[in-house]
Amino acid sequence: MAAFTVIDHTELGAAAASWSKTSIPSSYDHLLLKVSARTDTAAHLGNLMLRFNSDTGTNYSQTLLYANTSTPASARSTGLTSIYYGPTVGGASILADTFGAIKIWIPNYANTANFKQASIDGVIENNSTTNAQWNLHVAAGLWSSTAAINAVSLTDLAGGNLVQYSTFTLYGVTGA
Amino acid sequence: MAVIEAIATTYLEADAASVTFSSLGSYEHLQIRGGAHTDAAGAGYNAFHIRFNGDTAANYAFHYMRGYNGSNTAATAATGYSYIFCGLEPGPGGLSTAYGTAIIDILDYRNTNKNTTISYSPAIATGAGGSTEVQFGSGLWDSTAAVTSIVLTPQSGNFTRGSEFTLFGLASS
Repeated sequence: MAAFTVIDHTELGAAAASWSKTSIPSSYDHLLLKVSARTDTAAHLGNLMLRFNSDTGTNYSQTLLYANTSTPASARSTGLTSIYYGPTVGGASILADTFGAIKIWIPNYANTANFKQASIDGVIENNSTTNAQWNLHVAAGLWSSTAAINAVSLTDLAGGNLVQYSTFTLYGVTGA
Repeated sequence: MAVIEAIATTYLEADAASVTFSSLGSYEHLQIRGGAHTDAAGAGYNAFHIRFNGDTAANYAFHYMRGYNGSNTAATAATGYSYIFCGLEPGPGGLSTAYGTAIIDILDYRNTNKNTTISYSPAIATGAGGSTEVQFGSGLWDSTAAVTSIVLTPQSGNFTRGSEFTLFGLASS
């Protein structure tokens, strides 16, 4: 039976440019990160940049199924310095006190034989039916590195801050 | 205390108009996993919805994207509702032995600085030639009150015998 261990839980007491967790033990089988966040960027829609081991090289790629209109669509991109499809997050223009919800699964994160995949879903909820004032993401991301993941970070793609009360819970998962 | 715990499971031995969880414990996040069937007249399949703290006013919004019946896609945005659609359930017009599945995540449900936001991923596969659908969606309860109770209700009719929902709590320490 799978067992979950809390590696880190952070609730921001004040706005911050990013969240990160370093020195992640390699003793688990998988990682799960649950995020409830918004940013102070003056926009409805935004994204957080997911990075591993502080790698800012062009070693990431991503693919996405999304909707923020009545027509779902898909996208993909490569040669990126982060994964930002999936961790979608609302900015200052959405309903006050409303935080997005993101789940990030990172299977087999500590292996040193394969590149690392992340399965991500994220939502920007808002009391609006207007196009591009809400957002749904289901995504996959790839970090083209065989290094064991020992650090994870999230940073606003638009350069804003994560607001107070944003929460980040990182779980280590063992067993099956 | 384990980090993830089953708080309660409701297995319906008889048809029921709704399922309620009223003892939610003190966790960081909640998750509901379930399977449901409805007796709504004529329905090939139908939806069920969620409400918090008994609030039946128009304080909810939801958005979902869907793939259905083999080749169709669409997305829906709704505000001013008295519930959040979050599940799918076969009915009498569909496969009688099939139960739709749903996973519903309720993040940071006790935080009184936040409105309650959920994400959900229901699905239904009723066999060859039948109606099928998979969704991914989000919902908003426009209230910063801590969530203290949850009610799941079919869009019409009852949940039928054999429908089952488990509420999990995920701790943060």
